[in-house]
Amino acid sequence: MRPLAPISNPLRIALGILFFVLFVAGWAYATFGGYVSPTFLADPVTMLKDGWYLLTRHNFSFDIGITIWRVVGGFILAAIVAVPLGILMGAYKPIEAFLEPFVSFARYLPASAFIPLLILWAGIGELQKLLVIFIGSVFQIILMVAVTVSSVRRDLVEAALTLGARDQGILGRVLIPASAPDIAEILRLVLGWAWTYVIVAELIGSSSGIGHMIIDSQALLATGQIIFGIIVIGFIGLISDYLFKAVNRWLFPWSLS
Amino acid sequence: MSKLRIENVSRIFPAVHGGTPTRALQPIDMIIGDNDFVTILGPSGCGKSTLLRMVAGLDTPSTGRILLDGHAVTRPGAERGMVFQSYTLFPWLTIAENVAFGLREKGVPQRERMDIVRQWLERVGLTSFANHYPKQLSGGMQQRTAIARALANDPAILLLDEPFGALDNQTRALMQELLLGIWERERKTVLFVTHDIEEAIFLASRVVVMSARPGRIKADIRIDLAYPRHYTVKTSPDFSVIKARLTEEIRAEAVLAAGV
Repeated sequence: MRPLAPISNPLRIALGILFFVLFVAGWAYATFGGYVSPTFLADPVTMLKDGWYLLTRHNFSFDIGITIWRVVGGFILAAIVAVPLGILMGAYKPIEAFLEPFVSFARYLPASAFIPLLILWAGIGELQKLLVIFIGSVFQIILMVAVTVSSVRRDLVEAALTLGARDQGILGRVLIPASAPDIAEILRLVLGWAWTYVIVAELIGSSSGIGHMIIDSQALLATGQIIFGIIVIGFIGLISDYLFKAVNRWLFPWSLS
Repeated sequence: MSKLRIENVSRIFPAVHGGTPTRALQPIDMIIGDNDFVTILGPSGCGKSTLLRMVAGLDTPSTGRILLDGHAVTRPGAERGMVFQSYTLFPWLTIAENVAFGLREKGVPQRERMDIVRQWLERVGLTSFANHYPKQLSGGMQQRTAIARALANDPAILLLDEPFGALDNQTRALMQELLLGIWERERKTVLFVTHDIEEAIFLASRVVVMSARPGRIKADIRIDLAYPRHYTVKTSPDFSVIKARLTEEIRAEAVLAAGV
């Protein structure tokens, strides 16, 4: 192996799959070989059986759907608020000076710690779940978008100024298009984090969703079901990540290296 | 007739972290005539780019004022087009859209805009690249686009800050001929900053030599080589005489600047 030397596409895919295979093999070895008690860790076959049971008998696809809707709903609300605010903060220094200290502080407030409060304020309905995602995502997006917008190449802004661009033109025709691919990348990243918040939100005060299934299964010591739930989340994350990347490639062909 | 008047303009950069302020430019007076092609020649760090940026309105003089057609320069504007040393095409716009940027900002109607863009792409030989993105073009092509983008705006003066500095020698020579050809036809007032002596002479109707930091004007020489200038002029005796003289002027300054 030479540092930074590229590899062929088929080899890259094969190596990527190989790790999954090794991972499952190690898991199977530990469980079927009797090295781990089935009480604590189900084997892969039990996991699949439990998963099938969940899907066919317990309408688990409904739980998956409701969890996806919570993540996407809360995330879109956060993006609608945070992206414009972040752009304004990045573009205008007084707005940045006004908001940045508070947002930096709010970013470190753990979304999960708000759950008891949110239950008091919004009950245990959908609104509370959306708010957890919203609080967890909104400050992160604002700050990252602001940094991206404020670090747009200065010489591009200067070029636009010498071409007669005025303040609005600089914002709309330079700062926003220049940072659009990075903003899309930020949204992809934060959507990944939103998945961790939704499960926490569903572990407490919820009667549906993947997180609710997981906490129910814990009471029954059904580790196969828990693992199935976790793996489902992983796969949904993988798919949403892939979709996001595909959309970004399609929207911003000019930014491809 | 004077196009650009630089009156007593100096620039002092304020001190950082308790250091001493940096005097980048001594007070300078300069008058640039209409249709002149003036190159500002100086060693690196002599404040020549600072002077150009102040003319563009991207930097503010510490003293003095700059007048273009009698109006004081206070901010950047479309009447002072600029080509930068770094590649500053907007990467998200195609070559044609880049050239149209200033026209769109001015509100020129679509049809007229497209006509102007087509003309300029033809003049810089990039018609077949109209729909390419900047990153698909070589450095020379990108700078040609940048020149077309600045000129499509029909500025009163064109400012160029070492625009060919990052190009290889052959491309650089071709770009000089292209720019000179455009100037011979359009007769725009041009202010061109460079540290390359040959480039300064070949392009200019007048070369202004600047001293090492803090910059001031050291020599001001008219170049009376005939137009249209062919690249072979670079090997002519007249050219060599001017080059020898400027080499002496610049060398003394470079020695000062380098502190050797």
